Amino acid sequence: MSRKTERLVNLTIALLATKRYITKSEIFRTVDGYEGSDESKERMFERDKDDLRNLGIEIEVGTFDPLFEDESGYRIKPENYQFQLGEVSAQEITVLSLAAEAWRGASMGPAALSALNKLHAIGIESDSELLLDLAPAIVSQDENLAIAISAITTKTVLSFAYLNEDLQTQSRTLEPYAVTSRFGHWYIFGQDLDRKSLRIFRLDRISGVLKLQGKSGQYQIPAKVDINSAFTNPEELLTATLKLRDGRALNLRVRGKQISEAVDSSGWQRFAIEYRDIERFIEEVLWYGDDVIVEEPAELRTEVIKRLKEGVRRYG
Amino acid sequence: MVKSQSNPVEKASRLLDLVPYISTHQGIALSDLAAEFNLSESELLSDLNTLWMCGLPGYTPLELIDLEFESGYVSIRNAEVLQRVRLLTKQELVIILLGLDILGSSLNPDRKDLGEAINKLIFKIKSIVGDIATANPIVDSTHRAAITQAIQSRRDLEIKYHSTIRDLVSDRLITPLEISLDYGFEVLHAYCHTAEGFRTFRLDNMQSVIISLSTSGVPKQPASADYHWQIAITSRFRTSSERFRAVFKMRESNQPERLSVTSFSQDWLLRNAMSTLASVEVEGPISARSMIAEKCRQTLELYESGRSSK
Repeated sequence: MSRKTERLVNLTIALLATKRYITKSEIFRTVDGYEGSDESKERMFERDKDDLRNLGIEIEVGTFDPLFEDESGYRIKPENYQFQLGEVSAQEITVLSLAAEAWRGASMGPAALSALNKLHAIGIESDSELLLDLAPAIVSQDENLAIAISAITTKTVLSFAYLNEDLQTQSRTLEPYAVTSRFGHWYIFGQDLDRKSLRIFRLDRISGVLKLQGKSGQYQIPAKVDINSAFTNPEELLTATLKLRDGRALNLRVRGKQISEAVDSSGWQRFAIEYRDIERFIEEVLWYGDDVIVEEPAELRTEVIKRLKEGVRRYG
Repeated sequence: MVKSQSNPVEKASRLLDLVPYISTHQGIALSDLAAEFNLSESELLSDLNTLWMCGLPGYTPLELIDLEFESGYVSIRNAEVLQRVRLLTKQELVIILLGLDILGSSLNPDRKDLGEAINKLIFKIKSIVGDIATANPIVDSTHRAAITQAIQSRRDLEIKYHSTIRDLVSDRLITPLEISLDYGFEVLHAYCHTAEGFRTFRLDNMQSVIISLSTSGVPKQPASADYHWQIAITSRFRTSSERFRAVFKMRESNQPERLSVTSFSQDWLLRNAMSTLASVEVEGPISARSMIAEKCRQTLELYESGRSSK
């Protein structure tokens, strides 16, 4: 097992140290760990190259002599191997470390740890005075977030089972473009290959584990990914008139416009409140129980009364 | 939280990161190095022993990486080739990007300098990975500094808090424990002396935060007086289970979905039951059913008595 580890490290050192391309036969002859038949050495080398690429280490392929298509050679360019954010200040190191630190213990823990190891290896002390003001943590334990991010960065198609309102699953195939968190949830956005359009999915509504489909690099992510468009609600904005008990239904008060200044004799105020989805709004109004009365529209009022009567009948 | 056996590729990756780290931290104690890489000391020794066998082709002492760690302190020589800090993988850049987003939006507004530094880094990283990840926590974190300071100095906090469950603003004395992000909301886990129980407070629902002079202990056993209700969902299955924060799973039949839901707050359960009158039936306990009946009756009365005046 550790032979493989050693071979990968030795291959990296050899390819990084060389100023010229070195050939496969030179590698097999000089780098420790390539053993067995020619065929098995070939196979080992191909797998090693893939493994290194997955670690973000790009191996360049080139030829010695452009006139002769002889054996190709390999090397790792130092500029493709080393830390790519350039010179960083102590303040920047602090901020970058805190950003990675936010994931500790969450679903992205291992990637956060290796990012931190690299940042700390730069050898600049963090500006510890900043730590007082900032210490966020992300507690997303959804392992699908890690898979989604890795699919996007490697441009790999995903398939998954998505739970609909009836809690039945639909199978989906997606070219993922982006992830985002909104209204307290993580979403994945991309091109739905079956429905042939851009779609957005809430990660916690995915049943089971996201599956990577086929090879990486299968598609292009458009230069302009407009994830906001997925959140715009096409439904018409409606207005309801509600009476709110004085000092209650605080969230509705913040959202709405007060119509009558005065509290009437029985302790109520009239508000105009906007909504789009009638079903969601009925549920919101009912949440406040006897602190909210719907006046208009009649349709909304009738439906609320109907549900309350049904409640009395069922539970009474 | 020590990792179990890692695979050879992960181990190779770690070795490549160990070299530059030791190079800038010559003479670091084995235990400190193990902690930095989240390894046990024996795992770290196994890593170092493997690394010691690596080097340039030839693999004579002249070419091999020279490690010294028998003294309990680690130093490295002859590792110039691997001394560069490795580049951040795209995945690492993405999680840093998301972390920066959250940092930026939870920043104390008088730290404009940090805001600029964060935006500059976000721009730099987006130019490498593209605009593929954003985080939009709904945070108002003007109170954050006070909270972290109270946690560090083990002081209590006096907060004015808007509870959406109770639909009330109240004053509470709490012992803060930890800030985290839950369902996208930044929350504070704390022991609430007013409610005599462990509670989670959303930072954006805190209207004021004052560091108290008092320092209180926290009971070891959380006094748990949870309520358990049995419910049957008959329609709007996904929305209804999300409301009750139930773990939702795939349905196999067309039968109602029966499950047990739990909360420290009876009020929260009641409000959810009212919201979902048309899609959920609470089957038990009987006391819960009569609470709902009573609430429906009270509310309905308002509509019936107000009919003439409307």
